Amino acid sequence: MHKLLVGIVGAFGGTFSYTYLLHAPRQTAIPASLIAVAGYVVYLLVDAAGCSAIFSYFLATVVISSLCEISARVMRLPSTTFLLSALVPLVPGYTIYSAMLALVENNGMEAASAGLKAVQLVAAIAVGAAVTPVLFRAFYRRTQAMHTRR
Amino acid sequence: MDSTLDQIELLCIAAQLMLENGSETYRVEETVRRMAAGLGLAHANITAFPTSIFIEVDGSTRVRRISRRGTNLGRIAQVNEVSRRVEHEQMSAQEAALELEKIQHSPCTSQHAMILAYAVAAASFSLLFGGDASTFGVAFLIGLIVQAVQPLFIKTEMGVLFGNFAGGLLTAMLAQLFAELIPYGSVNAAIIGGIMPLLSGLLMTTAVRDTMYGDLVSGMARALEALLLATSVALGVYTGLKLVTMMGGLLL
Repeated sequence: MHKLLVGIVGAFGGTFSYTYLLHAPRQTAIPASLIAVAGYVVYLLVDAAGCSAIFSYFLATVVISSLCEISARVMRLPSTTFLLSALVPLVPGYTIYSAMLALVENNGMEAASAGLKAVQLVAAIAVGAAVTPVLFRAFYRRTQAMHTRR
Repeated sequence: MDSTLDQIELLCIAAQLMLENGSETYRVEETVRRMAAGLGLAHANITAFPTSIFIEVDGSTRVRRISRRGTNLGRIAQVNEVSRRVEHEQMSAQEAALELEKIQHSPCTSQHAMILAYAVAAASFSLLFGGDASTFGVAFLIGLIVQAVQPLFIKTEMGVLFGNFAGGLLTAMLAQLFAELIPYGSVNAAIIGGIMPLLSGLLMTTAVRDTMYGDLVSGMARALEALLLATSVALGVYTGLKLVTMMGGLLL
């Protein structure tokens, strides 16, 4: 419970301030931060349920990416402007860094294991972020076609 | 004014703006194709890489070199809006060119706001990596200092690499210095928090997404950039840790 609360505060603060660093449109800051919190909570819960890291990152990214697609359509802005901010708490910048730190420290084993973990997580996030818009577009087109047919 | 060459020039500026501000390659190509359709250029070919753009329309070709890459989502959104209006023929090429010019020179977030944002980001990330309230405070102070020195490096050659190295170095040294002055939660969490805003996990994710959309060259280029940036941060942190250990040895 404590971890969940700290996670929510950290994810919100981290994302909200990151929107400034990414020069995101101001009106996306709060929705993107809330989406990031939702995604991070999904990640924490699925992870606590004992699922593998890849699966929990994938599921969290699908949730984030879907919410971003919806907000993008509601607010009429490109979905990337939400997605890049909202993914910030999930992306494994730290894992990539620790792989590189292990390399600098001449610790090949540690570098290989952290590097492999980073590749797994990045792949899970990228697949989640790439698949969702494609599905969304297919679904959106179908509903639009239904409306025009009527 | 609306000659084909001017129109290609317009497409070039739009593509350049998007790439310079961190858009994915496939999105740049799609945007240019849509704008070309709106301008009535039926046979527009575009190839975009993170470092260059090639646009060809009816035998005329323009090539642009992209030398500055950053992330500015606000500008991407603005270019997107212009391209949408050009596509639906609500805006002439001339108006669009003026609008893009305005976007190019639109002011960024001020350095004061960036310093504060970096500090809050650093403090928040230290929480996610197991820091407590005292670590939060230390990471906040470290963040203020790290972002405050970044403008010193922006203008130099390889500025981003040096900036990241300096960020890692300062973070590692300050985190240990604060630990000497006042014992606080976790030095490790403070270091991770301090460098998180520099780390390029986003770049890596964009790299894989580019690769999945079939832009293999862009994907590889971005992945390499992400690794290089992470290495410069890691080198900085390592240097900082070693320097403090050596200085501590001399002082005691």
